Amino acid sequence: MQHSDTSDQQPIVKTDKLTKVFRDFWRRPKVRAVDEIDLEIGRGEIFGLLGPNGSGKSTTIKILLGLLRPTSGNVSVMGSAPKNVHAKQLIGYLPEDSHLYNYLTPRETLDFYGKLFDMTRSQRIERITQLLDMVGLTHASSRRVGEFSKGMARRIGLAQALINNPQLIVLDEPTSGLDPMGCRQVKDLMLTLARQGKTVILSSHLLADVEDVCDRVAILYNGKIRATGKVNQLLEKRDNTRFTVPSLPPGKINEILTLLKDKIGTDPKVDHPAMNLEQFFLDVVQEAHRNTGSSVGKAGSDNVAYYLTHE
Amino acid sequence: MRLQFRQFVTLATLTAVEATRQPIFLLLTTTCVLLTILTPMLALYNFGEDGRLARDSGLAYQFVFGLFVAAYAACSSLAREIRSGTASAVLSKPVNRDIFFLSKFAGVSFVIIAFSICSVTATLLSERVAERFMLTSKTVGYVTDWQTAGMLVASVFLSYLIAGLLNYKLKQPFESTAFGLLIVGVLAVFVISGFFNQLGDFDPFDFRVQWRILPVSILITMALLILAAIALALSSCLDTISTVIFCVAFFALGLLSDYLFGRYAGTFIAPTLAHMLLPNWQHFWMSDALRRGGSVPWSYLLSAAVYTVAYIIGVLCLGIASFRHADMK
Repeated sequence: MQHSDTSDQQPIVKTDKLTKVFRDFWRRPKVRAVDEIDLEIGRGEIFGLLGPNGSGKSTTIKILLGLLRPTSGNVSVMGSAPKNVHAKQLIGYLPEDSHLYNYLTPRETLDFYGKLFDMTRSQRIERITQLLDMVGLTHASSRRVGEFSKGMARRIGLAQALINNPQLIVLDEPTSGLDPMGCRQVKDLMLTLARQGKTVILSSHLLADVEDVCDRVAILYNGKIRATGKVNQLLEKRDNTRFTVPSLPPGKINEILTLLKDKIGTDPKVDHPAMNLEQFFLDVVQEAHRNTGSSVGKAGSDNVAYYLTHE
Repeated sequence: MRLQFRQFVTLATLTAVEATRQPIFLLLTTTCVLLTILTPMLALYNFGEDGRLARDSGLAYQFVFGLFVAAYAACSSLAREIRSGTASAVLSKPVNRDIFFLSKFAGVSFVIIAFSICSVTATLLSERVAERFMLTSKTVGYVTDWQTAGMLVASVFLSYLIAGLLNYKLKQPFESTAFGLLIVGVLAVFVISGFFNQLGDFDPFDFRVQWRILPVSILITMALLILAAIALALSSCLDTISTVIFCVAFFALGLLSDYLFGRYAGTFIAPTLAHMLLPNWQHFWMSDALRRGGSVPWSYLLSAAVYTVAYIIGVLCLGIASFRHADMK
């Protein structure tokens, strides 16, 4: 699923024995949140950081963004140290909780972040309109974000992370609080962005999300990387082989089974492939939407903001 | 450099907007204005000191309510942002930490100055409203300027009414609109009242107010700015509760500085240092100087301004040094 060749390119993110120790009031070591992590993430890759609560995922992300100082080790993000303010021109970050200014409206929120990137007024207006349409919040653009549900706040959080058309997008639990349609849209968006050569770092508890979109993952526990590699290689069961054929009549199946048993000496297993619950849910909702022509909730449009794919 | 300046202005504006959209600021400002204007009308048995009572009360309200405004604005703009994570979200963008910190102070200062303008205008008008003995061709006796008082109270209610209508019709945020309209309303009353004398008769334009109140109010505003700087610097390394506790300690110790440390200054090192480093709030409370027609000399105001600027720069430098190395949650 690699979206572009990274072998001959400099890594977008590189860490070398990265360690972070949090200290108490008296400067005594309290917890070793990140312990000698080595990472290399290439351009156009979707990289998943997995792990239980407190495993060091968010701490690692915050070090990459220069929000926390590493205790030891080296970090380079887009060829610069994380503290380098200029490198952040090309980074988009969606925090674990959306962290929004409660008294601003979505339009004001995006305008505020746009100004921090020195975007012109016309550029901001254009991008804000596209982003609000993409995340399905055009109807709520004059409401305060403090009144939003968690899912709506997540959507506006995602929009602010993309306002600068970033080359590196760091998403901490991006689908948390979203309905299945919203989750699907976010995952499709990640795939679209990766196809444009953008790098995505995804931290999530939802393993299905990670499995759906990530090229490579690292599994963290107690601040250490316990497993890392390409998703399909990590999940592949090499001791079994599966054939998939179009639906066959019972007689034909028995014929093939007998033939296979003769060849391999054991009883082969036959079943029908099942779609996952997410796909089934989306099919049912889309069918209902086609029939009634309305939706109780408000979903984002299927259009990715134009500037994200055409600039 | 241009981008940094733009970011500074954007962040400072956001700080001011966020602050004025919190109901607490509107509540504090409204209460301050109403108490200031109602005091001379409701107070009894003043022994002919109505004007002084109105003046002292107005300035005291500015100081007390201003302390809440300054401490709350400073804490909510930094400590709360660090705790809630909005600071992380902003600092993940290409924003220098020094710019972020300084813009917070600029935003908070704007709110404090807006509050002070509203408060001192109300005090000037309140002093004008207060009962006084008048001897004119039309009247001889004690006169209260009910017309100005009525206009001021009406301006408060009118600002709320218009803000409510704007919120209903145009979805304008109520609190910040009302806050802005309140300031505009109070200033408008100040100008309109200039066309009338204390009896309510039309008279050629003349501000019939005690301008000598202004320097005293400016001194109070300086004290509020110093406290805001201290609160902001503390916020960079402490949580909200600890910041408030330390601010209260700074205020109490600064108020008693002369008594606690001044007596031993020059004799022992610790009290001398404490007396030097703590802001002495007594120097910023000059209401007593207005007794018997007195005033605060402009040279004193200039010295206080130099002290204030120097103190604020010192405190902000410490705050920046601390904030540069702070871990964001």
